[in-house]
Amino acid sequence: MNAMSEAPKPDAAAAARFRAVMLPHLDAAYGFARWLTRDPVQAQDVAQEAMLRALRYFHAFRGEEARPWLLRIVRNTWTDLRTRKGANDQPLDVVEDRPAEGPDPEQSALAGDRRRHVAAALAALPAEAREILVLREIEDLSYKHIASVLDLPVGTVMSRLARAREKLAAELRGRLGRRDHGLPDV
Amino acid sequence: MDCPTCEAMVDAYVDGELSATESAAFEAALETCPQCRRRLAEARAMSGLLRELAPEPAPDLLRARVERELRAIARRPAERMRWMAMAASLIVAVSVGCIGGTFTGRGGVGGEGEMVATYMRVASSDHPVDVASTDRHTVKPWFAGRIDYSPPVHDLTSDGYPLEGGRVDVVAGRKVSVLVYRHNQHRVALSLWPATASGNTAAKVTERDGFSLAEWRHDGFEMRAASDIAPNEMAAFATALDRATGEDR
Repeated sequence: MNAMSEAPKPDAAAAARFRAVMLPHLDAAYGFARWLTRDPVQAQDVAQEAMLRALRYFHAFRGEEARPWLLRIVRNTWTDLRTRKGANDQPLDVVEDRPAEGPDPEQSALAGDRRRHVAAALAALPAEAREILVLREIEDLSYKHIASVLDLPVGTVMSRLARAREKLAAELRGRLGRRDHGLPDV
Repeated sequence: MDCPTCEAMVDAYVDGELSATESAAFEAALETCPQCRRRLAEARAMSGLLRELAPEPAPDLLRARVERELRAIARRPAERMRWMAMAASLIVAVSVGCIGGTFTGRGGVGGEGEMVATYMRVASSDHPVDVASTDRHTVKPWFAGRIDYSPPVHDLTSDGYPLEGGRVDVVAGRKVSVLVYRHNQHRVALSLWPATASGNTAAKVTERDGFSLAEWRHDGFEMRAASDIAPNEMAAFATALDRATGEDR
């Protein structure tokens, strides 16, 4: 209809392919958005907008790895929405505690406690450190894929990752007693 | 390998980014370097802590929205076709109305064009229902005095089709009851009127211009349903409705 739009509208076949290729990564898209925004409502907005964009630009997807491709769109969407709203980093919310599981309740409670501290430490990091740690450790992306999501050379990914880890270690040391977090003294 | 080199490799080693040769060299170097062994243990511990964080799955609402978008696309003919189909169905409705056909419950009356037109009046209106209630005991009496029969009204919330309310529509010059149900973000418009033929028929579900249509007779009523839900959901709706009517007696 619109003569200006150069992108072909997704059709039924594209929707079916999108469902098979991209939809399995919806959890990852939301999870990444969750760490970027640190807010469940905003994360949902970002992830939804990103999925719609992904669908719109799906014709440009050339069969590379789907997850990094989608996560890159999530990140761009987040950046756009943030600039549009002029919003800064939101204050942190408390990371939801998951019910303890496992045979030993005391151990599980300890583990749950530790997870909460780790999540809080990660959330407290600046976005640049946070996103790269999430991509590496939670999304388990290779350097090459992280480079494509963040649009950086691989060398920069490595140095940025090293700095992010230092920052997280410092945060963790501030939050956790050294004994029960498994981090050796430095 | 000297210590600075070894130190630089710790991260890449933990991240699985070293080649087999590099890994072997690094492991050999570790033997002689307690400092780097400690760095390695640290890096592994940190990685382990982050990997312990339980991922939060996408909320159902988000998933439903994406699903809806995909379904809409899958069902959408070209945009222009859709408008033409809508215009055509309205023309059909109007011309049938002019002829003022009798209410046989068969043939052209209550045909596809009218079903879609009824649905469009529900879907495109700011007030899709004249009586908004999920309570059948509110909706059913509302029809009294507005139409000349009393339609069976059931809430199908437990089947995923909550009753939203009712309205009166004019089909072929006669007022008929329309019940509006909800299914996720979609609406189903069900028109029903007393049947002249007897016996029940199984719901015939068809798809037309992106709309699902169902047509059947149950318990003395002609049923016509139209919606933008998927055909299998429409079939499930008809089944749920028949079951609810059956439990009534």
